[in-house]
Amino acid sequence: MSRVTGAPDRMVRALQWAMAGLAVLFIGGIVVWIIHLIRTAWQLQDVPSASIGISLVAIPVFLTLLGVILYVFVGLLGDRGGR
Amino acid sequence: MADPADTRDAALLFPIELTGRGFYVTVGLLSLLILWGAIAYWTQFDEGLGVTGLHQPVSWGFYVTNFVFFIGISHAGTLISAILRLSKAEWRRPITRMAEVITVMVLFIGAGQILIDLGRPDRMMNIIRYGRYQSPLLWDATSISAYLTASIVYLYIPMIPDIAILRDRVGKRKLLYTVLALGWQGTEHQQKVLNRAIAIMAVLVIPIAVSVHSVVSFVFSMTLQPMWRSTIFGPYFVVGAIFSGIAALIVAMLVFRKAYGLHGYLKPIHFRYLGQLLLVMSLLWFYFTFAEYLTAYYGNEPEEMHVFWAKFSGPFWPFFWGMVLTNFVIPVLCLVRLGRRTIGKVLIASLSVTVGMWLERFIIVVPTLSNPRLPFGEGIYFPTWVEWGELAGSFALFALFFVLFTKLFPVISIWEIREGREVGLKEVEERLLTYLPDTAEPRLAEPERGW
Repeated sequence: MSRVTGAPDRMVRALQWAMAGLAVLFIGGIVVWIIHLIRTAWQLQDVPSASIGISLVAIPVFLTLLGVILYVFVGLLGDRGGR
Repeated sequence: MADPADTRDAALLFPIELTGRGFYVTVGLLSLLILWGAIAYWTQFDEGLGVTGLHQPVSWGFYVTNFVFFIGISHAGTLISAILRLSKAEWRRPITRMAEVITVMVLFIGAGQILIDLGRPDRMMNIIRYGRYQSPLLWDATSISAYLTASIVYLYIPMIPDIAILRDRVGKRKLLYTVLALGWQGTEHQQKVLNRAIAIMAVLVIPIAVSVHSVVSFVFSMTLQPMWRSTIFGPYFVVGAIFSGIAALIVAMLVFRKAYGLHGYLKPIHFRYLGQLLLVMSLLWFYFTFAEYLTAYYGNEPEEMHVFWAKFSGPFWPFFWGMVLTNFVIPVLCLVRLGRRTIGKVLIASLSVTVGMWLERFIIVVPTLSNPRLPFGEGIYFPTWVEWGELAGSFALFALFFVLFTKLFPVISIWEIREGREVGLKEVEERLLTYLPDTAEPRLAEPERGW
């Protein structure tokens, strides 16, 4: 399968890494939000154990998703660069 | 490079390369419905929730029913697709893409219902700023975010080789396809990365999908409201979600089979297998429903019995018995013998289940609020044109998203079909030989010893 691209290669690569950056920002934002909720619960002494308990499940799930996304981006884009 | 396989699967690229009159007519009709929904929403935004039929004590109506219904349908994709992928069901190849697309689309529509139900969407900021994890509503927000993220990833990753085909073959939208293809050339390393990522995602989305609908059910079952507080609500909701998801998937498959002439890919055998799955889920759904209502009836708690009789013979009886008819009687009658006219029977059963599962969500949400444990009189809920508009607009938006998707990307995974032809046949033969007793099984691990 040959690669036919009319778009300048640099711009394409920049857009592709921007997509990866967007994923980092989105999932990073969710993780920061969850941490903010733990902090608020802790400061108000408003059953922080509930926030911590749920976060212990939620944060690793989001980080695993981010890991898969980055694995695909680095794996595919890296291989293209190595050709 | 002219690849013979390219011409063989050209039918899958036609909808992207050519646009007929039917497309514009469909988009026009759907846009009209969406316009109705938009006007309804603007009226509600401008005048407040008072323009709807929502009031005290019935503060949840069509919007929350739609929310539970659409989130339920989302189980079509990732769950069914992931299970079929992991179990190496070869017949999955032409259907996984559609299932995954449904998931992503309906999750957006479903989550949007909550914004509509809030009346003032700016109040969403309160969840971000002051959310409390003691509330199951926040569990919902978290698990749906995880599911939406996982579903988008699970849709996108298996699409990469197909996007590369579009990049190399289709003359338009070159930049879009080039960017999204991530430099895919089909090298050994890239294939390894892709297969590994798909496998991880297939394993990951199953618990996430199950958790999502369990958590949706917790919004009801964590309260003390009559006929909501139930320990089986989690699995009951998950079963209902898979049930409605399969039905929606079958309807979508039939629509696009007809519209894009995909008869060679979506064969009666696919509908037969999905129909059998639908039959199993119908029986399972009936079992859960029976267990749920029998327990309430046997308990004979006065508040619960108010709700129970309101559903059985009170103001909600047409919805309740309509639900039983459409979710159990019609599907079982249609699917129990799939000899002739398979596709027609499966279509009737699927349309019936789609209606029935919406009724089921309605019959869970509204009658309990009409007969609450709190000292309110019995409340009756009549949706106004605003809620009907939102309902029509939501369904139309889902259909429009799906139609637009098919104009940008193949609705059937091209590379998976090719893989099926090139590798799948041989793999199935080898696998089958390993199942049989008179053939040698490859020694993968320590041989099993007798006890």
